[in-house]
Amino acid sequence: MNCERTKEQLVDYLGSQLSASEQAELTAHLAECADCREELQAVESMWQTLGKVRVPEPSAHIRPDFYAMLATFKESVDTTPDYTLKGLWQWWLNLDIPRPILRAVYSLCLLGVGLIGGYWFSNSRTTGAADQQQIAQLATQVGNMRQMMMLALIENPSASERLRAVSYTKQLDEPTTKVVDALLSTLDNDPNVNVRLATLEALAPLAQDPAVRQGLVHSLARQESPLVQTALADVMVQLQERRSVKPLRELLKQENLDESVKSKIEQTIQTLSTGRPAAPSTPPRNDQTNLTSPAQRAAVATV
Amino acid sequence: MLRVKAGDVDRMGLLFERYHRQLFGFLYHMLGRADASEDLVQNVFYRMLKYRHTFTGEGEFRTWMYHLARNVLADYIKKNRHDRHHTDVADMAEHLGGGRRADEDLEKDQEVAQLHQALAQLSPENREILVLSRFQEMKYAQIAQVLNTTEGAVKVRVHRAMNELKTTYLRIEN
Ligand SMILES: [Zn+2]
Repeated sequence: MNCERTKEQLVDYLGSQLSASEQAELTAHLAECADCREELQAVESMWQTLGKVRVPEPSAHIRPDFYAMLATFKESVDTTPDYTLKGLWQWWLNLDIPRPILRAVYSLCLLGVGLIGGYWFSNSRTTGAADQQQIAQLATQVGNMRQMMMLALIENPSASERLRAVSYTKQLDEPTTKVVDALLSTLDNDPNVNVRLATLEALAPLAQDPAVRQGLVHSLARQESPLVQTALADVMVQLQERRSVKPLRELLKQENLDESVKSKIEQTIQTLSTGRPAAPSTPPRNDQTNLTSPAQRAAVATV
Repeated sequence: MLRVKAGDVDRMGLLFERYHRQLFGFLYHMLGRADASEDLVQNVFYRMLKYRHTFTGEGEFRTWMYHLARNVLADYIKKNRHDRHHTDVADMAEHLGGGRRADEDLEKDQEVAQLHQALAQLSPENREILVLSRFQEMKYAQIAQVLNTTEGAVKVRVHRAMNELKTTYLRIEN
């Protein structure tokens, strides 16, 4: 192996691009040639320094933007129905009640039968503690099932199914991170205004969780519907969330902003900046929102 | 990726999580603008969804991704030719060296900044090949697939690009 060829291969060597035999040849030459070793050192120094060049992190918008795009794409695919037999079969397969849920429902029924049966048989005996334990177990299982149902239904193409999913969360004692994430992403990306409003209503009582709070603040920039913008502004006042002032100001810069929303937001910023609570009667609490009922809002939203 | 092709579009979320940073890095090096690079990341993923049937499953997913990325990039540059955009990378290069972090060795830092500047001043072809081989850590065979060329040609180009980088760097340093 000669020096010229060695020097040509130094970058390939540093980038682990050589075959085992090529590398063996190269290192053999390097071992006996000081000149090439010196060259290697120079190239290596540049190669390492180049590796330290940093690229900025993509902004926080990149993820929600992608998922919104994905949802829109899915919708456009879903709205071109395929009525052939194969299409129907596919639709049936995609109808998402995942198998584990069906199994859970089934075993829950069995357990129910078992409990009732057990109750009948044990009525004469004194086994209160065992029953209590079983009932507690059952309650946990129901909770898990609701959560699974929620996570499965929230992806459903039908808006009414997604509304049902959101309503399940109110029956959960302690929504898990998964549920919260699903709700936040629905709030940001769901194409249906009613679903977004219901989601906001479900999220507001959970705002003692910092992740929820932050998600709500971030969501301000993502909303285009005047209804949702107004409802979110209300929640921000309820929560006395000062971090929302900046995104609210950003929102004001939007060109086609609804006039009523504009004054609402200005009012909200004013309230948050002066620190006066919005509703003079009661101080804001996490478990309270003054949103109107879902039915009322649904009626407005469909107009 | 074959599962995405089969219609399970949600899988694209996993691919996004795994590859969007890399893709952003590639585009950022080529454009020198973070905001435009982010837009193009979305654009590339959109094309993956739309043209998912063109992924044959042969070769790696990444190869296909960069293939689409290069097309998107070429479109973007064509459209913005009359803008001042082509100077963005050079602009970026001039601003480099500012905003150094205090906790790092200053001298080393300056070296990195100057090398970054040199990289930004390379011809797009040479910059691209170095970004793919050094930052994306792709094998020559994969790079050859992305660029529709041979492994031998890639090797020669990497070598040439490193030489140009060295010359440019020495010019900046002095
Ligand atoms: Zn030698």
